[in-house]
Amino acid sequence: MKYCDQFREMFEAYALGALDADERAALEVHLATGCKDCAKAVEEARWLVSQLAYLAPEAAPSGMLKGRLMQTVRAEAQAAKRSSPSKAGIPFWMWAGVAALILVTIYSAWKAQRLQRDIHDVNQRAAAILKQRRELEAQLEIAKREATILTDPASVRISFSSQDPATPQLEAKWHSQLGIVLTGQKIPAPSGNRVLQLWLIPKAPGGKPIPSLTRRPDAHGKFVLLVSNPPELLAATKALAITEEPAGGSTQPTPPIRWVGGVT
Amino acid sequence: MFLSALIPTAIPEVSPDATLVHRLLQKDVSAFEQLYDRHSRSVYSLVLRVQQQAGTAEEVAQAVFLQLWRNASQYDSSRGPFVPWLFTLARNRALDTLRLKSERQRRREDQTDELPAVASAPEYEKALDEKRRAERVRTLVSFLNPQQHKAIELAYFEGLSHSEIAAALKEPLGTVKSWIRNGLLRLKQGLQAST
Repeated sequence: MKYCDQFREMFEAYALGALDADERAALEVHLATGCKDCAKAVEEARWLVSQLAYLAPEAAPSGMLKGRLMQTVRAEAQAAKRSSPSKAGIPFWMWAGVAALILVTIYSAWKAQRLQRDIHDVNQRAAAILKQRRELEAQLEIAKREATILTDPASVRISFSSQDPATPQLEAKWHSQLGIVLTGQKIPAPSGNRVLQLWLIPKAPGGKPIPSLTRRPDAHGKFVLLVSNPPELLAATKALAITEEPAGGSTQPTPPIRWVGGVT
Repeated sequence: MFLSALIPTAIPEVSPDATLVHRLLQKDVSAFEQLYDRHSRSVYSLVLRVQQQAGTAEEVAQAVFLQLWRNASQYDSSRGPFVPWLFTLARNRALDTLRLKSERQRRREDQTDELPAVASAPEYEKALDEKRRAERVRTLVSFLNPQQHKAIELAYFEGLSHSEIAAALKEPLGTVKSWIRNGLLRLKQGLQAST
């Protein structure tokens, strides 16, 4: 074997750890270059040096040393077994836990969806009830207003007459602040979807009829019409008239005038 | 003839130690116990020689075997026999424990690290069993002159450098170097001749 000449006497001392710092550094730099011959020589020198261990006088450790070691080693082996994964990879109890978690998650999602649906239904019912209540309140307000107009002595009574004596009578009361209430019984319904429309005839000469609300009698012929905000003042109105008009009403009265009542 | 052709002629020899160390990788407690029974005396003897105190020697020996248990993968059986590796591990640990952080200790740590470097066994090593080799080593070293023997022991068991040994023995540095190198070469030649 060919060794690098300048290092050939250092291998044993290097393996022994006896080289002084400068020599050791020089050899290590050389070994770091990858010289295989010197590396091999150092490995063999290490083996040779290791044989010096046999120069130590023979002695035996106490039995307690083995006891302590075996105790530690057994404990660590047990810990290693516990920490290593089982054949299944994941222990059964963990699978059970995962399965339970999935079931709980599915149940929670179903429950939340159902709860959301219930909340939506309740909200819809509440909205319907609120709407109904508002309608009732509006009806009540109208009824109160109608009752006040009809019973207040300040209201002006207007009797309607018709050219046809067989036509039932209509009557209106006009309160200067609350409006007009027009009522009638057994009023025949206009044909088709036609309606009855109220007109205000002004006192002013040449004044055109002012259109007001339209309404159809109910199935029993009852006819009630409330005009909360008449388009003309009581004092400026000569008479009220009612014509039959197409659905939605007209801007000009369509003859013949079915009823007319003078405002006194 | 036919059978011999089917049987491999060069089956790699696997030492019992290498097999036991391999079983340590599977945390085989029984393998560890067998390794301890096989080598605890020689390891303890080495450590006690370095430490000179039974109490601390047992502590060091315990650390050595625990290191073996926990770092068995660091030993590569294809690169050398187990016993020299174990001895180097024990010696390094014993010397490191013996000394404080001095220059000498840093030098050794730089050189060997925590785990020993590879020690390749020459061909003649395989011819001797451990007991015979121990006897042979002692015999061969006993033939050296006392100063030479002393210098080698100061280097191996106390970790002294050439310069430190020269100072301790009050001998020239070159003489100490020659003693140690020639003594180790004679040991090597003697072990070769034993085969």
